[in-house]
Amino acid sequence: MRKARARAFGTLCGLIALAGLVETCLSDPVNSNADLALPAPGSYTLDHIQRVPFGIVLEGNRFPRMLSKYTTGAITLLAFFYSYCADPNGCPLAWETFEQIRQAILLHPGLYGKVRLVFLSLDPVHDTPDVLKSIAQNYEEGATIVPWHFLTTYSYLFLNPVLRDMGEEISMDREASSSGNLVLNHLLKVFLIDNQGWVREIYSNQSLDSATILGDIQTLSMHAHAAQR
Amino acid sequence: MNRSARYWLIMAAATAAWGFSAPTPRADETCLSPYTAALIKGQEAYLHVWTLGEKGLGDESDKLVTIDADPKSKTYGKVISSVSVGGRGEAHHMGFTDDRKYLWAGRLDDSEIFIFDVGTDPAHPKLVKTITDLTEKTGYVGPHTFYAIPGRIVIGTLSNNETRDGVTGFSVYNNKGEFLSAHPIPTDNGGDGYGYDIAINPKKNVFLTSSFTGWNNYMRDLGSLIQDAEAMKHFGNTMVLWNLKSMQPEKVFSVPGAPLEIRWSLKEGDDWAITASALTSKLWLISHDANNDWQAKEVGTIGDPAKIPLPVDISIAADAKTLWVNTFMDGKTHLFDISDPTKPVQIYEKVTGKQVNMISQSWDGKRVYITSSLLANWDKKGEDNEQVLRAYDWDGEDLTLKFEVDFTKEKLGRPHHMKFSGRQDKASLEIPGRTASK
Repeated sequence: MRKARARAFGTLCGLIALAGLVETCLSDPVNSNADLALPAPGSYTLDHIQRVPFGIVLEGNRFPRMLSKYTTGAITLLAFFYSYCADPNGCPLAWETFEQIRQAILLHPGLYGKVRLVFLSLDPVHDTPDVLKSIAQNYEEGATIVPWHFLTTYSYLFLNPVLRDMGEEISMDREASSSGNLVLNHLLKVFLIDNQGWVREIYSNQSLDSATILGDIQTLSMHAHAAQR
Repeated sequence: MNRSARYWLIMAAATAAWGFSAPTPRADETCLSPYTAALIKGQEAYLHVWTLGEKGLGDESDKLVTIDADPKSKTYGKVISSVSVGGRGEAHHMGFTDDRKYLWAGRLDDSEIFIFDVGTDPAHPKLVKTITDLTEKTGYVGPHTFYAIPGRIVIGTLSNNETRDGVTGFSVYNNKGEFLSAHPIPTDNGGDGYGYDIAINPKKNVFLTSSFTGWNNYMRDLGSLIQDAEAMKHFGNTMVLWNLKSMQPEKVFSVPGAPLEIRWSLKEGDDWAITASALTSKLWLISHDANNDWQAKEVGTIGDPAKIPLPVDISIAADAKTLWVNTFMDGKTHLFDISDPTKPVQIYEKVTGKQVNMISQSWDGKRVYITSSLLANWDKKGEDNEQVLRAYDWDGEDLTLKFEVDFTKEKLGRPHHMKFSGRQDKASLEIPGRTASK
């Protein structure tokens, strides 16, 4: 199965290389543990784990938007982060994986416009819409193919109910924060959400594998396509 | 610009005025799901003990008992709280959710599952939810293993509601306690359909299940069961390797004699698991062969199998060099050198009770805890029916008793499964109390 996937990737890269997008095909952006023996996309089902809760979020300015705007209508990969988090097993790991997924989708025309990436900040005080807008600008290229939204909230009053419902506990690490730099303890969780707003998979730092995620995205896309017919 | 360079450029800008965070825990105590957070690598503060109620003793109810395990505490070795759940339903095993905030505890008779909040105040757990729909949703009976995966719990069961034999499956619930899916243990390709433990190896996208016996046997008096040749045929003789992503069986192994607890090596780079078969008193290794195919192989003997010592629980060291084994019938705690897992060698044994069942060790291996009760109808009778928790220090050569709690004298019941909690730093629960964004 993995050989077939590699062949398909190679063929796709060849076509893209002809189109001049050489850099993206220098290596498979999906960095996976070759020992995983993943099932073929579409050959398995993913549970409906829970619905994404109601929430009010901000993007780019202080105009309130429904969280559901970012979690329905497309397959969504959502992670909680904060912009200055440097825990190598936390936000940077999620960030790197999102980068890999974004690159992989750019190579999968069948997924164009069907997937969005969402980062929702755990620190609405520091991560204002303006701060996040400057980060989002780095991903404007290709945004029509795979948009990457950087969201925040007005305050913890708005954020905490979403965190609680999605099982994302946070706390301040007093010891690590004693030098004046705020450190937030949180479990790395990345949520795969179908176009109806159902969480269908949750990845931790033990299971955050980009090939696994891409297979799950393809599975959701194939099942949604089959359901429409 | 490559991806990593772009990421680090963004990070550098973002962190210019802010600091860097500390790493979060990745691993866990030696026998927990690899997805469980908040590893206790130092001194555990509390022991939670899932305890079977006993008729005529105290309030007679099943209960979660919490014991102070911190030697520096004034109440070290004492019971500091107890939460009764009502009735007696064969309390058995427990498991943390991935965030370690909640502890799920099951009963093998009535299939009820109790969810305790142990994260808010681990010294005083609170019962927050009772799940009663397992049999209705799945047809399975006897929730045994509670194994965390992100946002969910996988529940391994022992029986079914139709024949009440050992044919069963496992189910998945979300952390809110809502049923998601059920998955039968295979009865074809050599499978007997029986279930018991679950253990995941995320690096290989696989998990293993083992097999015990059904409600008809585990709720029956052990003395009469052993005399019933037909009933004794109804024990599991298999393990199953599953694909974790698809939750589909991939291979059935023949492992005669009721293979019970499964422990994956936690050593970096290792990809093997070990189990003990209760009726045949053997150690089995599950690992790759030269062709990279998973195989199960008998690798050792525990005590004298002819005497049926009944190995009931095992605990693997964090460095995968040693394995504790408790044998119920002779009350012995054994230590095996498994640094070569294909050739386990017993290096120590000690009688730790008249009957011993569960065994748990600290991450550093310096402390070992045992409990006495196996199943209400399988425990010994009369004076041999001691019901205790014993805490030992292990110095590499001998187990030294540090404290014991007599669950009969304390009018608590029969102690079975144990889990650790650390002392809660209440300050760390504070969400930064900062005001709205500007």
